[in-house]
Amino acid sequence: MKTIAIDLDDTLNNFTETLQQTAFTYDPTDGISEEKFHNYLKKMRNGDRDSSELLSNEYSSFCGKIISLCHEQAQARPDGVAFMQWLRAHQWRIVICTFSDLRSDSDRIRTWLKDHQIPYDYLFMAMNKLDFCNAWKIDILVDDHVLNVQYGSRYGIQVFYPIMSKHKTVELNGARGFTTFNELITWIQN
Amino acid sequence: MDSKLTLLKEFYSGLPKDRAKVETARLGFEFLESLLTDGTTFEYGEMHRSTQLNKYKLANLSDQKMDKLLRAHLAKENNVCLYFDDVASSIFCINLDNNRKSNNTELIPEIKLALSLLREHLTLLGCEPLIIASGRGYHLWCRLAVCIENNRLHQFMLRLAAMTLAGLHNKGLDYNQIKTNFYPDPRIRSRVSLRLFGSDHSRNKTFSRVVLNDELLDEEASWMAFENHLRSKTITEAQFNEAVNVIAAVFNPTPS
Repeated sequence: MKTIAIDLDDTLNNFTETLQQTAFTYDPTDGISEEKFHNYLKKMRNGDRDSSELLSNEYSSFCGKIISLCHEQAQARPDGVAFMQWLRAHQWRIVICTFSDLRSDSDRIRTWLKDHQIPYDYLFMAMNKLDFCNAWKIDILVDDHVLNVQYGSRYGIQVFYPIMSKHKTVELNGARGFTTFNELITWIQN
Repeated sequence: MDSKLTLLKEFYSGLPKDRAKVETARLGFEFLESLLTDGTTFEYGEMHRSTQLNKYKLANLSDQKMDKLLRAHLAKENNVCLYFDDVASSIFCINLDNNRKSNNTELIPEIKLALSLLREHLTLLGCEPLIIASGRGYHLWCRLAVCIENNRLHQFMLRLAAMTLAGLHNKGLDYNQIKTNFYPDPRIRSRVSLRLFGSDHSRNKTFSRVVLNDELLDEEASWMAFENHLRSKTITEAQFNEAVNVIAAVFNPTPS
């Protein structure tokens, strides 16, 4: 059976756009001041890493909550939905492979996939998607992450990525960028 | 094996057996499909930093399938982690973990003192816990003779943790260095599961050893302590109600 792994955030949905443009509302019951709320949101939107030495902290909890809201509110790419339905119709085994913490967000993500009529067989969280695809003998990965685009070939994995400005300086090593998912239909059949 | 399986099922009788997270070094679609027989469904999988530890959240497990998984747990072929009931539980657990990003399996002073204080609080309240060493800290399990509403259990644990963390603060230690998790936690009941006693951890191959009188017991002694706890330390409803009242009085003292 032909198997394909597909990323969720910024591949099938518009996660970053949702993060940047949604007017998130301050909730006093979260236990932080409104000023801190806005500072944390700015930090998150800037892509700043959590510099704390602690695994679980105020900022990590804040990020977790905002990520969950983004997963609920993100829009699906219509061509992505059509592509997934094409895969199902053509008997592909579909693995949704995400970096997101499924312990906290699996219910939201599964609901979102169902609501957007996105078919799939398995949902996986993988810290290293190339390692995951390699271990599970998945030859094709559709993902926007620059490291996966750059190093897929080292693992023998063909990576296809939605073209974004962040890919301009990436060494592609055989990875192929696409503008619409329709392009993938021809490529993966070859 | 059968006697251990009986013990395990009795100890964790308060946890639903129709869902579980299975941790194993095994992977691949053939293996995954072998888990999904008899109506078992797959919610999601996790692969963390190594392909040696794969986690599969399963639902709609039959009794026979759960027995099979528990036997594999005891045979150290996988770990079974169970979730808590949505409404009420006859078991609760407080998890103390090292909260540092690096070297977080180190037994730091904050964990040592928190364990000591929490055990002391629970024991004084007539709720002696079974303490099991975990990767980054300890699980303190308490069994109840009856089911108690999750919100009530959660509030009880929250207050115990607050007293424990205050104890750390009073000794000049930073309570942010440890992370406390409560099971059941009504806010995240469907998300979190706990690994059961009686197996080697799938990643580090360390047995879930019991801590008794400040001593980390070996596997055989841990099983004896586990059985002894089951037989003699189960908390009655009256004991628990009394413990709740004592704690409530600490937080809401009667005005004099």
